[in-house]
Amino acid sequence: MSVLGSFAGSSSTLVGGLPSSLAVDPLFSRGVHWQEVVIVIIRVLVAFGVLLGSVVMMIWFERKLISDMQSRIGPNRAGPWGLLQTLADGIKLFFKEDLVPNRSDRFVFKLAPYLTLVPALLIFSVVPVGGVVTVAGHTFELQVADPPMGILVVLAMSSISVYGVMLAGWASGSKYPLIGSVRASAQMISYEAALGLTVIAVVIVSGSLSTRAIVAHQAPAFWDWNVLRLGVVPFLIFVVAITAEMNRPPFDLVEAESELVGGFNTEYSSIRFALFYLAEFMGVITMSGVMVTLFFGGPDGPIPRFIPTSDLWFPSVWFLAKVFVFLFFYVWVRAALPRLRYDQLMDVGWKALIPLSLAWLLDVGAVIVWGWWALVVIAVEIALGGVLWRAFVVGSRRSEVAAIYPPIASRMLTVVPEPTAEEEQE
Amino acid sequence: MVNRETMAQYLAIFVLLALGIVFGAASLVASALLAPRKQPSAAKLAPYECGIIPSREPPQRFPVRFYLIAMIFIIFDIEIVFLYPFAVILHQLRTFGLVEVLVFAAVVLVAFLYLVSNGALSWGPPKRLVEGMGSRTSETTIERVGAGASSSDRAA
Repeated sequence: MSVLGSFAGSSSTLVGGLPSSLAVDPLFSRGVHWQEVVIVIIRVLVAFGVLLGSVVMMIWFERKLISDMQSRIGPNRAGPWGLLQTLADGIKLFFKEDLVPNRSDRFVFKLAPYLTLVPALLIFSVVPVGGVVTVAGHTFELQVADPPMGILVVLAMSSISVYGVMLAGWASGSKYPLIGSVRASAQMISYEAALGLTVIAVVIVSGSLSTRAIVAHQAPAFWDWNVLRLGVVPFLIFVVAITAEMNRPPFDLVEAESELVGGFNTEYSSIRFALFYLAEFMGVITMSGVMVTLFFGGPDGPIPRFIPTSDLWFPSVWFLAKVFVFLFFYVWVRAALPRLRYDQLMDVGWKALIPLSLAWLLDVGAVIVWGWWALVVIAVEIALGGVLWRAFVVGSRRSEVAAIYPPIASRMLTVVPEPTAEEEQE
Repeated sequence: MVNRETMAQYLAIFVLLALGIVFGAASLVASALLAPRKQPSAAKLAPYECGIIPSREPPQRFPVRFYLIAMIFIIFDIEIVFLYPFAVILHQLRTFGLVEVLVFAAVVLVAFLYLVSNGALSWGPPKRLVEGMGSRTSETTIERVGAGASSSDRAA
C-alpha cells in the first residue's frame, strides 16, 4: 500500500535510479469501493464513445485527404464538407441484406468480425491519453486501465487480431478470401516478431512494462523521448512493422484488390463488413496512440500554466496533436506508395527488420550496462551481419538452381526434359 | 505483488471487452431487424468469383513456405518471450544478464543462419535457368518447328 501511495504523488521519481515496475493507477490507492468501480465504468464509456467518434472522423479524414491528394473532391454531400458521410454509410449498411455464403463455416464466419474488432478496441485501454487528474477527491489517470504489464496487452491483442483475419478468409469457403488470409497470417506473424523485438528496446530503457511508467520515463523534455534516446532506428522499424501488422498500405497484400477481389473480407456484407472496416480504422488510431506512447512521450509536452486548469487537459491536447500527425502520415503513405510484391514484403520483414531490431536492442542493453565497451558488441554484430548477408546469398542461390533446363531447341526433341543432378537431389 | 488493487487494474479492460462484445452483438441484432428478410437466390449465396461459376473447391494445400514461415516465427517468438523479463530487470542484472542474452541471441542466430542458407526464406517460384539460350531468330524458330515435325516422324 505504501508503495502505491508514494507512487501516486510523484511519477517523476521513476526517472532517477531504479524505476518501479509496479506502476499502478492511483485510483485504487484507497482500495476498491463502489465509487472506484463507477469511475472505471465512466472512463470506459467515455473512452469507447470518443474512440468510436474518432473512427468515424478518421474514415472521413482519410477519404477527404486522399481525394485532395488525387485532385478529387471526395465526400461533400452528407453534412458540412461531407462530415456525416461515414455515418450515412454506416446507417445504409444496417439496411443491407446479411449474407452468409452457403459454402461457409457458419459459426466461424460469424465469429471472425468480433475477433478483429474486440482486440482493436482493447489495445486502446492501455494507451495513456492524458496526465493524472484529481476530480472530487479522486485522483486517477486519464487512461482506461494501467495494468503492470500494459505493453504486453498491446502485443497480445495484436496477435489475436491475426485470428480474425485468418478465420474470416478460411470460413468464407471461397478462393480469394482464403488466399488473402493465408498471405495475411504469414505477413502478420512475420512483422509481429519485428514488432516484439523493437518494443523490448523501449522496455530496456524504461525498465517497466506499464505504459504509464514508459510515458513518465520520457517526461522532462523532448530530447528524453524514446525516439531520440534509442537512436531513431527502433522507431522506424516499429512504424514499418505496425503498418504491416495492421495490413495498411503499402502492406495491404491481404486485400490486394487487383488480384484478390477484396481479400479476406470479400464474402462479407452488411454490418459484418462494417465491423471489419471499423476494426481497421480503430487499429490505425490505437496503434498511432501506442506509437506516441512508446516513442514520443505520450501526453508529455510544455504546459502553458497561465491558462487556468490547463494542467488537467493540456496533456491530452499534446497527445491528440501527436496522434494526429501519425494519422496524417498513414493517409499520406496510402496515397503515395504502391503496394509491395509478396516476396519483397517477406524479404523486408525477415532479412532486414528482424535482424536489425534484434541487433539494436542488444546494442541498447550493452550501452546501458557497459558504456563505451558496447562498441565491441556493435563491431561483432556488424561482422555477424556480414555472415548473415552471405547466408542470404547462399540461400537464394540454392533455391534458384532448383531447375536448370536444357536449351529450348533441344527440349522439343526430348519430350520429357531429363532432370538434372540438382533436381534429383530435391 | 498481486493484491486487490493490482488486479483491479484489469477491471476496466474486462468492462471494455464486455462493451465491445455488446456493441458488436447489438449492431448485428439491429442489422437483423432492419435488413430485408427474403431468401437470397442461389447465385447470391455462391462464392464470389467475379461472375464465373466456381468449378472446383478452394485449394486445400498451400506452398510449404507458409508453414516454414510459421515455424521460423516460433523460434523468434520464444526468443521474444524470454527477452521481456530480461528487459525489465536489466538494470539489476547488469553484466550477468547481458552476457546471458548475448549467448542466447548467438544460439538463435546460428539456427537462423542454417535456415536461411538452406533457402527457407527465398520466396517466389524457382527461377528456371535455361542453359545457353540463344537469341530467337526466324532460323531457330524454323529449326524448332522442323524439329517437332521430325520427332513425330521418328515416333511413327
